[in-house]
Amino acid sequence: MGLFRPARTVTGPHGDYWEVYVSKTALPAWRESKPGGFEYGVGDPRGDLLELPFMLLGALWGMLIAPLLRFLVLLPASFVRGRRSRAVRIEAVSGFPHREVFLWTTTDDGVDRVLDEIVNGLAAGKFVQPDGAVYSGRED
Amino acid sequence: MSAYELVDELPSGAARAAAWAAYALTTYADKLLAADGTSDVVAEAYARAAACLDAARGVGGVPDALPHWRTPVRTWEQLVGMRDALDALRTYLAYELKSAAPPELARVDAQLARVDQLWIERPPPEIRGALGSALAIGLDEAYSLGRRLMAASEISAQ
Repeated sequence: MGLFRPARTVTGPHGDYWEVYVSKTALPAWRESKPGGFEYGVGDPRGDLLELPFMLLGALWGMLIAPLLRFLVLLPASFVRGRRSRAVRIEAVSGFPHREVFLWTTTDDGVDRVLDEIVNGLAAGKFVQPDGAVYSGRED
Repeated sequence: MSAYELVDELPSGAARAAAWAAYALTTYADKLLAADGTSDVVAEAYARAAACLDAARGVGGVPDALPHWRTPVRTWEQLVGMRDALDALRTYLAYELKSAAPPELARVDAQLARVDQLWIERPPPEIRGALGSALAIGLDEAYSLGRRLMAASEISAQ
């Protein structure tokens, strides 16, 4: 069971490759801030040039620094919540042609059986809904 | 006379079916109230139970179902109340059917089995959503089955 190493890998009937992760931790979502309200093409062009560093800094803050800070602040709580619960997350991740993640949630009693059923289903090209698990579909 | 007493007093037929509906609604409201405190669903269940008691006396009709929640994910306390209510209704129906595992209760038992599989402390929202859904289906099945059973003599006479 781990966040960073797949518990299983499986290839579907059409060659689609899946990595299946099993973990007790739901990682905090990566949320980028909305871009700032800069106005383009108005006023003195020299003024626009002066704004350029601030625009770059704003973009860097909104797209990287703020989401990273939020992620790091929420991460310990996510780990603690996961450790205290008997719920287990099973995520099937496909990276091609674009990244897709599908989520099942089960309990630690049934995780091996549920994992087997999910892997067998993916190998057959199906998203199964095993007993004792909740299939949530594609994660945003 | 309360819904708990009335359903035991009446002979099978339309009045007893209405008394069962009042019993089921009162049980649901009481269990939710004990586990989670007051809510819109509790108030609605008590109001429908009162209407069913009137129906058992020949005034008005019986609602088709228990009141439902307006959001998909239940709190742990709400789930505890729902499960306690379903266990109580199932026990009454099994006693009525004079069997511990009667086939008539198969659909209720299927939902309870699903609940048993997922019942853990501190469940995440995904599991709470599934538990709430299974319990709501089970409660509706028990409510409908009870109405059919309590009206049984009337059905067989037709």
